[in-house]
Amino acid sequence: MSAGAKSRVVVVAEHSQGRLSPVNWELMACAGQMARVLGLEVAAAVLGQGVEPLAGEIAQRTGVKVWAVEVEGMAAFHGEAQRLALAQLLPAWRAQAVVGAHSTSGLDWAPGLAARLEAAYLPGVEGLSAGPEGPRFSRTAHYGKVREELAPTAWPLVLTVQPGTFPAAPPGEAGHGEVEVVRLPAPPCRSQLLEVVDGAGTDAGLGRAKVVVAAGRGVGQAENLELLRRLAGLFSSAALAGSRPVCDLGWLGYGHQVGLTGATVSPSLYIACGISGARQHTVGMQGSGFIVAISNDPQAAIFNLADVCIVEDLTVLIPALLEQASGYSDPASLQGDLPGRPG
Amino acid sequence: MRILVCIKQVWEPESLFDLQGTELRPRPPLRRKVGSYDELALEEALRLKDRLPRTNLTVLSVGPPPVVDVLRRALGMGADRAVHILAPDQPPPRPATLAAWIAAWAQGQNFDLILTGVMSEDAMQGAVGPMLAAHLGWPPVTSVVSLKVDGHALAVEREMEGGRRQRLALPLPALLTVQSGPNQPRYPTLSNLLRAKKTTPLTVDAAGLAAPPDREKVVALTPPEKRRAGLVLEGSAAQKAERLLAMLRERALL
Ligand SMILES: Cc1cc2nc3c(=O)[nH]c(=O)nc-3n(C[C@H](O)[C@H](O)[C@H](O)COP(=O)(O)OP(=O)(O)OC[C@H]3O[C@@H](n4cnc5c(N)ncnc54)[C@H](O)[C@@H]3O)c2cc1C
Ligand SMILES: Nc1ncnc2c1ncn2[C@@H]1O[C@H](COP(=O)(O)O)[C@@H](O)[C@H]1O
Repeated sequence: MSAGAKSRVVVVAEHSQGRLSPVNWELMACAGQMARVLGLEVAAAVLGQGVEPLAGEIAQRTGVKVWAVEVEGMAAFHGEAQRLALAQLLPAWRAQAVVGAHSTSGLDWAPGLAARLEAAYLPGVEGLSAGPEGPRFSRTAHYGKVREELAPTAWPLVLTVQPGTFPAAPPGEAGHGEVEVVRLPAPPCRSQLLEVVDGAGTDAGLGRAKVVVAAGRGVGQAENLELLRRLAGLFSSAALAGSRPVCDLGWLGYGHQVGLTGATVSPSLYIACGISGARQHTVGMQGSGFIVAISNDPQAAIFNLADVCIVEDLTVLIPALLEQASGYSDPASLQGDLPGRPG
Repeated sequence: MRILVCIKQVWEPESLFDLQGTELRPRPPLRRKVGSYDELALEEALRLKDRLPRTNLTVLSVGPPPVVDVLRRALGMGADRAVHILAPDQPPPRPATLAAWIAAWAQGQNFDLILTGVMSEDAMQGAVGPMLAAHLGWPPVTSVVSLKVDGHALAVEREMEGGRRQRLALPLPALLTVQSGPNQPRYPTLSNLLRAKKTTPLTVDAAGLAAPPDREKVVALTPPEKRRAGLVLEGSAAQKAERLLAMLRERALL
């Protein structure tokens, strides 16, 4: 391993609309662990326009050195500009490792950067440990059914951290790290960013509900959603949510989507029905108080973060629940407009 | 217009797996399919072909002999030509290797547009597409949910966190990775399937294609860790339902 004493692990911070994303503190936690295992120094970089205050915020909270890279023409995140700018700057930063998020942005710049730097690429990292021949990074694969440990055999490393897996480094006044402003002319991009528009999703009341009943592809057909609506109807404050495929199929509007590219919810109770438990889904619901999962696949990844696991066909189990609950529940809550009809 | 779509053959997600050292062994029945994002990438390409009549659509898959099945299915859906880069499936090639092989073959084929899935459904790396683009010197745009071709210009929308979208313009040639959306993949047609049956994909041996040495190695496969209690309810469906209701009442959730 060629990680010299003064080499760095550089976190590339995410931000949008003038605010840092919460995932940055998870990236910092991962970088902190790497620094300990590999003897590296942590640093960070923020790229864009008017990013100096954001760099200051990171420097204050973490105490590390932060580059505020003012990139001409980069008014909002632009993967190509970010990749070209990083490729140009990293050699001078003595970066042995570059850390981004396994997010839609990270996926846009990190793999291409790894190819360009001829770096090892470690996508969707969820943990790391010191192995006999160097660091080992873990990630999940195969529908979340397997944990894979990867050992880099070349340096530098480019890695993306799976959001929601490293506990965010707690806020604090770590003492002010140095902020260095770097100004870069517009990189020679072939793509041109025209505008950023908000998603079409409507608010499905997911944030306010105490109970979220969530439908996955395992619901099988739109008609079966009626079962989930009736299940939601057992609770006084419930909303119906869906995984991405359910929204893509038009069974529910996109305002109902939970996950990385949808809403993040943390109700007291989350009932996942026919959801396999891909990380892109679970990152949006893993903070729920009590999690019940129903799937017919005994190895489904969702069972690894459920409090209660039910291996069963949901078209059998939910009717059984409804039948048994009808004796107890307040009949008023079963009438009237049930939650979560697609808009 | 010449389009290439890269498709990967994956095990059905509901397959049960056993771990044998660093090898993942699916239990019978062995059921394979096209990765779902790759199938959506193919659907996008077919929609372009429907609109732009002089389009030639090639599908490519890297893997052992059974990947011919997914290539046949792609021909059945309407692709014009299939290419099979023959490679062993164990150990699974690293994304940089796959990208180098595909680039080595695709270079000089004059493609205007290359589509991949946003991620392979099983390995979930999101890496092969952008790495392939890096080899070709093209800018990749990832997580694309809408695309329009106008002459030599592309107008695309890519999706970000919370459903926000970026609109970008870029020239051809280009590489895009396709994210899921309201479009659903079409079914193969009988006439195309009959044609596919008679077509032999072009086979290229990966051993003859250049690739860099691996820069990372899979050293262990283990079952994922449990992050919560994970109490498994036993018994008949009625017993499970009864037990669940009791637990919810105990916790004052119902
Ligand atoms: C960049 C990116 C962003 C993404 N963002 C999101 C996001 O925000 N939200 C999201 O949800 N996904 C997102 N995804 C997709 C995600 O990776 C998964 O593909 C998706 O979550 C799978 O949805 P699912 O669990 O409903 O379907 P599947 O994975 O198909 O799982 C279906 C489950 O239902 C079970 N089942 C089938 N039939 C029955 C039955 N009769 N009874 C009981 N169980 C049954 C199956 O065994 C399986 O466990 C994103 C992907 C990418 C690449
Ligand atoms: N073996 C393969 N053969 C053809 N295309 C592949 C292969 N592996 C990955 N791809 C393509 O690259 C995309 C991203 O894969 P990955 O980097 O593994 O997430 C997939 O959606 C496919 O389009």
